Amino acid sequence: MRTTPANFPSMLTRMLLRAMALIIVAVTLCPDDAAALPTFARQTGQNCQACHAGGQFPELTPYGRLFKLTGYTIGERTLPFAGMAVVSDSSVSNRSKSDDPKEDFQKNNSLIFATGSVFAAGKITDNLGAFLQVTYDNYASQSADGQFHGHTNADNMDIRYADRSIDNSHDWIWGVSANSNPSVSDVWNTAAAWMQYVPVPSPTSSSFIDGSAPYPGFAAGSNIAGVTAYAFWNQTLYLEAGGYRSASGVASFMSAGIADADKTKLQGTNPYWRAALSHEWGPNSIMVGTSGMVADIYDDPLDTSDPTTIHHFRNIGVDSQYQYLLDPHTVTVQFAYTRDNQRIPAFLANQPVQDANGNPLPNTNSTDTTNVFRAKASYIYEAKYGTSLGFFNQTGTTDSALYDPTRVYGNISGNPAVRGWTSEVFWTPVQNVRIGLQFTAYDKYNGASHNYDGSGRNASDNNSLFFYVWGAY
Amino acid sequence: MYKVRVTMLALMASLATGCANEPRSRDTANPNVSGETLALQVCSNCHGATGNSTSPQFPNLAAQQEAYIVAQLGAFKAHSRQDPPGPEYMWGLSRSLTEKQIQELASHFAAQKPERQLVEGRPERIEAGKAIFTGGIPDKGIPPCASCHGPEGKGNATFPRLAGQHVDYLVKQLAGFQRTNDRPSATLMKTVAHDLSHENIVNVADYLQAMPNHQER
Repeated sequence: MRTTPANFPSMLTRMLLRAMALIIVAVTLCPDDAAALPTFARQTGQNCQACHAGGQFPELTPYGRLFKLTGYTIGERTLPFAGMAVVSDSSVSNRSKSDDPKEDFQKNNSLIFATGSVFAAGKITDNLGAFLQVTYDNYASQSADGQFHGHTNADNMDIRYADRSIDNSHDWIWGVSANSNPSVSDVWNTAAAWMQYVPVPSPTSSSFIDGSAPYPGFAAGSNIAGVTAYAFWNQTLYLEAGGYRSASGVASFMSAGIADADKTKLQGTNPYWRAALSHEWGPNSIMVGTSGMVADIYDDPLDTSDPTTIHHFRNIGVDSQYQYLLDPHTVTVQFAYTRDNQRIPAFLANQPVQDANGNPLPNTNSTDTTNVFRAKASYIYEAKYGTSLGFFNQTGTTDSALYDPTRVYGNISGNPAVRGWTSEVFWTPVQNVRIGLQFTAYDKYNGASHNYDGSGRNASDNNSLFFYVWGAY
Repeated sequence: MYKVRVTMLALMASLATGCANEPRSRDTANPNVSGETLALQVCSNCHGATGNSTSPQFPNLAAQQEAYIVAQLGAFKAHSRQDPPGPEYMWGLSRSLTEKQIQELASHFAAQKPERQLVEGRPERIEAGKAIFTGGIPDKGIPPCASCHGPEGKGNATFPRLAGQHVDYLVKQLAGFQRTNDRPSATLMKTVAHDLSHENIVNVADYLQAMPNHQER
């Protein structure tokens, strides 16, 4: 069962053979004309690469950013529906250091239909537009007999009203967004909601690929309901502020399909803010920004009666993005960092913990700090051939609450550190299909490079190869 | 309950009719939106509100010949202009424009003032480009660019203004004339560009980008 690095070439060959079959089908079924494009492309009649840098969705070009900030209202109203699907195959480096490899590495080396979404998106009126995504996760849960079960729920939602006052001397864009996910309203790819490479399979089926590694983000997560107001002055200064609450009442559609026990339940209105400076010169553009959110989250989503069970989070981030866009070249360099301070509710703080041998560990913390840093550089030629390299580093407070002696997924140090690299090559044979191969190498996992689970598993044993075909129509 | 229903019906009716905000609309299919509005609300995203674009990916349109803009928008709309900016950006945006809107868009950009730019090319290249622009390359039978585009590169009717245009845009267009039939209305340019070397193309583009345009302010 052990898959050594030496065996990786044969795994790669198997994956590539499967990939070739998929690619032939994908390219055959996808004529490269405007009739087959998703809803925004139909609305504007433009190619994907007008709005997405080098065709590398979801990263936006300067024009794509303005399209979004003006409320998705450029163009003409068309059928506002689109679909997206990801088929993937992942393979983890070492499956021998496990008590039950079949259980620990579900769907390893199996080509799977990982996830799919439908979108209702586009211009509604001259000032009103929407981006509504509903996602199906084919591996959302697993029953006792090992069978996976698919599930559909609300995903990213952004309904916005926008207006623009522009003449030869000034340019003001302002708007209001009702959305389901802090930073989903953002237009830079370093925002928490958008930096991830590719929609990835549910962790129940593929655990160590890039999408499961840490990304800067907000503790409140998605499937909540917020209203933010924003303004973009002379395409230079961007300011946004708003608040988020639990998705309920008229906003309950933003968490539709999520089981009550899995929802984020917030106390009151929780503030979110974003500020960014943007500058363009020649084919270059750069943004330097900061964002933050303070959130009070109930420990048990099913019991919001007791305010002493609230986790208090303060997230502050800084991010920056540089783009060079001049056909046939696209270069992007990104940095994002988020610091998360958590105050743990009294009933969970200062609790005694014992290790697997019954020896006492330090009591659990009353506060925790976690830092997540991400950097990524990518190059795309002719909006078809791309490569990228990303680095991630999560550090944080050691807390006995994180102690877990479970093999493979455990953490015996109580430290949340995860560090590694993701390299990728991808090909966009037609503008709405991307085929990619990623390799994620872990240098540190769950607090240690070696023996992080107490059973001899090393961080590098989780190195993963991930192949995907991502299409949108 | 009755009031709620009436409100919902009114809301749906208003959505269905478009809730037009014509003075600030970005609707490229509404004939009542003026070309001036579309120029500011839509075209400015790439070409700049004053027709002076930041990115060389998109041509400067400030002081461009009105007749040239009309002709090019017509060619994009008819898909007869097939170079990459057509399918990538312009076919879709121009597909529903009326003749009146096209004329208004052209008037808007023709009336704008070109901005002074940083000179991109090296002096020796600019000099070499000037020689081609003003005197052509007699040995290759290439006529002076100035004979159609004017001694100051301001253009004339459907001959476009070239002064102050981005180097990258000019190089790509000249290469396109030379190697493709993507712009069938520019058959003259295909003949002119046929024997230009890449160096000739870069030199003349460097000269054009550097042409002094501050006199026109």
